[in-house]
Amino acid sequence: MTKEDKTTHPHIPELVNQLKKGEIDRRQFVQSAAVLGVSATAAYAMVGAMPRDAHAQDSPKFGGNLRVSMNVKEVSDPAIFDWGEKGNVARHVIEPLVQIDKNNVAQPHLAESWNVSEDLKTWTFNLRKGVKWSNGDEFGSDDVIANFERWLDPATGSSNQGRFSAMTETVDTGEKDENGKAKMSTKMASGALERVDAHTVRFHLNRPELSLPESMADYPALIAHRSFEGGDWSKNAIGTGAFSLDRFGVGEIAVLKKRADAHWNGDVYLDQITYVDNGDDPAAEIAAFASGQVDTNYQTSVEQIPTMRSLPNIEVMQAVTAQTGVARMKVTEAPFDNVKVRQAIQACLDRSRILEVVYSGLGAAGYDDHVAPVHPEHAELAPLKQDYAKAKRLLAEAGHANGLKIRIDCVANPTWEQNTCKAIAEMLKPAGIDLEINIMPGGTYWDRWLSTPFGFTSWTHRALGVQVLNLAYRSGVAWNETSYSNPEFDRLLDKAGGLADVTERRKVMAEIQGVLRDDAVIAQTFWRSVFVSRSTRVKNIYAQVAFEHHFNKAWLA
Amino acid sequence: MLFFIAKRVGLMIVTMLIVSLLLFVLLELQPGSVATKVLGPYSSEEQRTLWLEANGYLEPLWTRYLSWLGGMLTGDFGESVRFKAPVADILWPRLWNTAILAFWTFAILVPLSLTLGVLAGMREGSALDRAISITSIITTSVPEFASAVFLSAIFVFALGILPGTSGMTDGFDPLQLVLPVMVLILYDVGYVTRMTRASMAEVMTTPYIRTAVLKGLPFGRVVFRHALRNALIAPFTVIMLQVNWLLSGVIVVEFFFAYKGFGGLLLEASLNQDIFLIEACTMVAVFVAVTTQTLADIGYTYLNPRIRLA
Repeated sequence: MTKEDKTTHPHIPELVNQLKKGEIDRRQFVQSAAVLGVSATAAYAMVGAMPRDAHAQDSPKFGGNLRVSMNVKEVSDPAIFDWGEKGNVARHVIEPLVQIDKNNVAQPHLAESWNVSEDLKTWTFNLRKGVKWSNGDEFGSDDVIANFERWLDPATGSSNQGRFSAMTETVDTGEKDENGKAKMSTKMASGALERVDAHTVRFHLNRPELSLPESMADYPALIAHRSFEGGDWSKNAIGTGAFSLDRFGVGEIAVLKKRADAHWNGDVYLDQITYVDNGDDPAAEIAAFASGQVDTNYQTSVEQIPTMRSLPNIEVMQAVTAQTGVARMKVTEAPFDNVKVRQAIQACLDRSRILEVVYSGLGAAGYDDHVAPVHPEHAELAPLKQDYAKAKRLLAEAGHANGLKIRIDCVANPTWEQNTCKAIAEMLKPAGIDLEINIMPGGTYWDRWLSTPFGFTSWTHRALGVQVLNLAYRSGVAWNETSYSNPEFDRLLDKAGGLADVTERRKVMAEIQGVLRDDAVIAQTFWRSVFVSRSTRVKNIYAQVAFEHHFNKAWLA
Repeated sequence: MLFFIAKRVGLMIVTMLIVSLLLFVLLELQPGSVATKVLGPYSSEEQRTLWLEANGYLEPLWTRYLSWLGGMLTGDFGESVRFKAPVADILWPRLWNTAILAFWTFAILVPLSLTLGVLAGMREGSALDRAISITSIITTSVPEFASAVFLSAIFVFALGILPGTSGMTDGFDPLQLVLPVMVLILYDVGYVTRMTRASMAEVMTTPYIRTAVLKGLPFGRVVFRHALRNALIAPFTVIMLQVNWLLSGVIVVEFFFAYKGFGGLLLEASLNQDIFLIEACTMVAVFVAVTTQTLADIGYTYLNPRIRLA
């Protein structure tokens, strides 16, 4: 432990103390310790428990082709990936610095370890040595720097700009737009990224930031080779991963073949991973499982579960997550520019009932704050209650005493999304709100998710509560779909991001969650568990909270 | 005859031009939305304007239409938004897959339905006729999406002898064609059988057949040598029209069995608003429709001496 002590964050003893006093549970301890640079193994050792791997006793077999049913989407530029399926195809070829494991803990990946200054503003990442790119180059600091430079360049259009906003600055371009306002441009702040040596990089943030390791695990943060400057990545996929992209056809197939040279993380058992696109018909996927054409999938919807369970040799795995869907209101568009209208909608909803009806109760009720009970810093606030008298009063005050007609856009599949909208519509009726549901194909919705006045957007799991708030509700960031802009919220979010102490952070989170809830920009009715199916011959895979596939250690019996 | 063919081909070209104009106007009238679809929601106003200019969208409508039409004629369909690849690279392999599906469907459908139709029609009202007719009506009234589920339940889930999806991921697999072909045939065989039966029954009541029967020719000879030639004229047109039906009929089947063909492509293109792909698919569908129509007209004229032109 002595060697460890020198590099560990000064807050670690306090964490241990909190764990002893029962202020945090073991899971939260490991999560927090991992964020502060203690390896998960060491953290588990401190609390005296290692998660048991159900298949650890079996000896793995080499060989075989793992066939996965999943939509195969285009993967031309990893920096602008906007969907988990794209990340899954690419993740076995190019890898992230950090990976979130099945216990929602940040694990070192291409980064071997990291440590952070006490003020959470200076992060040093030690990169793994001896990792070879498939073209023979050595992986190192230059690759990481090249990727960050691309991500934070506004011309790239990467969502990483929001993820790593503590590394950016907004400057005046000197040009004016049509209205005579100065055109602003957001780019990497000078000195934000320092090359210490060939395998060490240091990040100098302009505000304390807790979720830097978790942000590095998100799917658009896969590290491409330093020579990649845009164009079509799938045409020349150089990688550090255990597999190489052998064949790729959008909407059809992606074949990943095991690389001949050894992987830095030791044995890789599978010879091949084949992603098969079975289209959007849930029946096709079930038929593929039934006839043994696929071994696992991307996700199994709640409606598919009973059928999947009835199939022989198929098992449904579950992950409790911070995945959710929000009926989000654009605060710049009438009638949602009036906070009373938004609060009236909020007051109409019985969240537990919606969870029960739409998702068979497989999750937890949500209360419009987008911080999940599985997040370590989640603050327990009083649940919101259905209150039609309040809703009617608010509507009257907003000038809609005679009723309100609104329309929500949502995707056709997965069906829980449109079903949630239907349940919301039913609950709005008694208050005199007539909600029309505009169901559209996914592709169409994702063209307008940022601009529609009222839309139902699904959000994936992120390990920390502050992460998603930074992405979706901070003023002006790329994925701020509600156009929400509250300086007080931003200020509190900065504050929370600088607190390593979970208990302290939870106090600020209570305020943040309260502000977001009062401003009522989203009606977020439940957190859902997610499910993945697998054939029982597939070993050592799990349902990951963000549908990430980690197949390096998977094997086939 | 030559004049007639020229007239039909001319009509065909005019039809295609009208459809292409409608299609173009519907999908590309607002250039701004084209740029958003191509460049995605993250693109800036400036990028969109640059793209519109580079791709000639700021030109007058008719100039754009003519160059689009020129591109179409030379096989340049533009680039697919979803696939990030030229439309032609995606369209032709998919169309080929559907052609394989169609070939096997017709290879079984045509002989089967003609045989059944002739058997039913040669003795109108017989037990055989009743049995075939009732079966035909039942199979035709079950839509493809229902028969697909039904057949899957039997052959995939209960018996486990056929693959449930037909993605052909490991190369061509004839077994994977069985269910899609079965569904298509099951739906269409009844219709073609009924049309053949009607035509056959009608011919069987004509005076020349009665004469042939009365002068003592064997029944088989009457059917094969005398009735069949005339009875098959109407089914010929019907079968030609089935090519047309198949192009839309495959959408359901390809979606259900995840078969990578033209129908599935058209559906996905529409769902994802992949406009260049929609335009290309639609023009191909229209081309097939008017071509089969024209071939049917010409063939019918040729086969039927009563309307054969001098």
